[in-house]
Amino acid sequence: MLAFISARQAGLDDPLRLRRAESTRRVLSLELNKDRDVERIHGTGVNTLDIEPVEGRYMLSGGSDGVIVLYDLENFSRKPCYTCKAICSVGRSHPDVHKFSVETVQWYPRDTGMFTSSSFDKTLKIWDTNTLQPADVFNFEGTVYSHHMSPVATKHCLIAVGTKSPEVQLCDLKSGSCSQILQGHRQEVLAVTWSPRYEYVLATASADSRVKLWDVRRASGCLITLDQYNGEKSKASSEAANTAHNGRVNGLCFTSDGLHLLTIGTDDRMRLWNSSSGENTLVNYGKVCNESRKGLKFTISTGCDPEFAFVPYGSTIAVYTIYSGELITMLRGHYSTVDCCVFQPNFQELYSGSKDCNILAWVPALREPMPDEDAEKQHLNPAFEDGWSSSDDEG
Amino acid sequence: MERRRQLISDTLKAKKRRLQPGPDPGDAGEPDRPEGSGAVESALRYLASLFPRQLFEDALPPLVLKHQLYSLVRDRTAVDRQLSRLKDEGLIRLFQLGFDSDVFGVAFTQDYTTKVLQSVAGKEHAGTVRQFLETALATCPELSYDNGRMQRDFGFRDPDITQLVNAGVLTVRDAGSWWLAVPGAGRFVKCFIKGRKAVLGMIQKAKYKEILLSDLQSRRAPSAVKLGLPYHIHDLIGAQLVDCIPSTSGTLLRLADS
Repeated sequence: MLAFISARQAGLDDPLRLRRAESTRRVLSLELNKDRDVERIHGTGVNTLDIEPVEGRYMLSGGSDGVIVLYDLENFSRKPCYTCKAICSVGRSHPDVHKFSVETVQWYPRDTGMFTSSSFDKTLKIWDTNTLQPADVFNFEGTVYSHHMSPVATKHCLIAVGTKSPEVQLCDLKSGSCSQILQGHRQEVLAVTWSPRYEYVLATASADSRVKLWDVRRASGCLITLDQYNGEKSKASSEAANTAHNGRVNGLCFTSDGLHLLTIGTDDRMRLWNSSSGENTLVNYGKVCNESRKGLKFTISTGCDPEFAFVPYGSTIAVYTIYSGELITMLRGHYSTVDCCVFQPNFQELYSGSKDCNILAWVPALREPMPDEDAEKQHLNPAFEDGWSSSDDEG
Repeated sequence: MERRRQLISDTLKAKKRRLQPGPDPGDAGEPDRPEGSGAVESALRYLASLFPRQLFEDALPPLVLKHQLYSLVRDRTAVDRQLSRLKDEGLIRLFQLGFDSDVFGVAFTQDYTTKVLQSVAGKEHAGTVRQFLETALATCPELSYDNGRMQRDFGFRDPDITQLVNAGVLTVRDAGSWWLAVPGAGRFVKCFIKGRKAVLGMIQKAKYKEILLSDLQSRRAPSAVKLGLPYHIHDLIGAQLVDCIPSTSGTLLRLADS
């Protein structure tokens, strides 16, 4: 650390380097912490989480009973022990609550005054955060699996919506109507994501095992259909041509620079694609267990040196390095299938929601206390102390 | 000052400590596990040496499954890349053996050609097969051949292709395209599936569905395991049908759930 600081002072290092090294260290030491908790409001599984990109302070969660809860993640109590409080929620008694499971929630990327939620009750609702009233409701013919708003768009306010029908719908917030349909998939669309680099580029994943990249200004079909064999026809049977996976593709995530795209499918594979050429980079992550019938929300870290992907893996969360495909660790803590996880880039924290109704906070481990701090340690709450000691500890 | 210095080392230590215990690919008995560019080739030779040639009257080239390599070399991406490099160099051939579409058989090209020639020696289609090995096999490292390519580039006509299929060098993939195949590989596949089932059964029956690797290796294999226990253990670890858990008394194999 001292070397980093002095190198930075002398101008030998880019200031980013210290930041990267420290955030990498923090991500590698993520663990459950007894001091950090998220208030338990949901009575059913938590399907989706989103942290607002402006301050990184408020988190939304959507449950499979239609409830949406808003949490404050920041700790202003000046005590290490903190339970993330629910500020407000759209509960079952709310007149405009979603009837069925909420599949995706997302903050409006520019400010916290607005958020969107979509649900199996075939609606997409635009909410005013301050009054907690829906400002607009879009109705669809099929259940909605996923929706997304572009994080970088300045020239449009389109929400891409993946529903049970094979067409991807684009809803325009300015006019309040479904303005466009993207045709090309053959089965339900399980995941949609806008590129964080180009505001008109959209990626969609479908149950027909295909992943398509679209430019929404283009009327005549998609830009690229990703092919797991990179055009080598000889490797698989011909019906598998132009597929990204050998099963349903149910998760999508761009890297933070938008140059690569991660996809995950029910064939227990994860693949990394070059998002400009559509080429499979052939990084092999091994078996990534995935039995989800609907969309799976996984996430990646930002600002670390090797970037990491956090992927729900049964009741654990697997952490992979993105570009080398190495499994770093498994985060164990949930009692049931994990459905979503979301990364807080400012403090390198990870929040995960599971079918066991809990939201867990994974916090970087504090450094081990130095020997000279032993004196302070005595003042800890005696309840936290281990009264039992073995001869090994003393010796 | 002292504290700061401890912080530096702490930073570095924390990284290394977390990076090392990754997925342990299971120490399946071989002494050295080299990393680097030659690792895949040497792992391949080691696995090929496990293949029991005598079982099939020495009629098959030593066949290795691609995922078995993952149990020896832990970086899967590197295995894939080096394997495709070896394939492009013509040192090895990949085959579809009729399992899932991402399971490939691997054999050294030289072993493959000698065994194929040996199998057709003295038969009437020996000439066609030899011609196929010299032209198509030597120039094209692909897993399958299609109609246009066979007829246009290599000058095989329909009766020739029928002969090749009869000789077992090609198997039908779909209309107008063929997989490259190993003549007589069906017997291997049969033994392999039975053996895998038997070894999985051994782990299934163990207490808590887990067994120490050394314990499993020292057991007497059931009669269904014709290819040898080490061969199957590499297969199970590589295909991630069992999880490797490092323990104080060696690697523990646990049946992967689901």
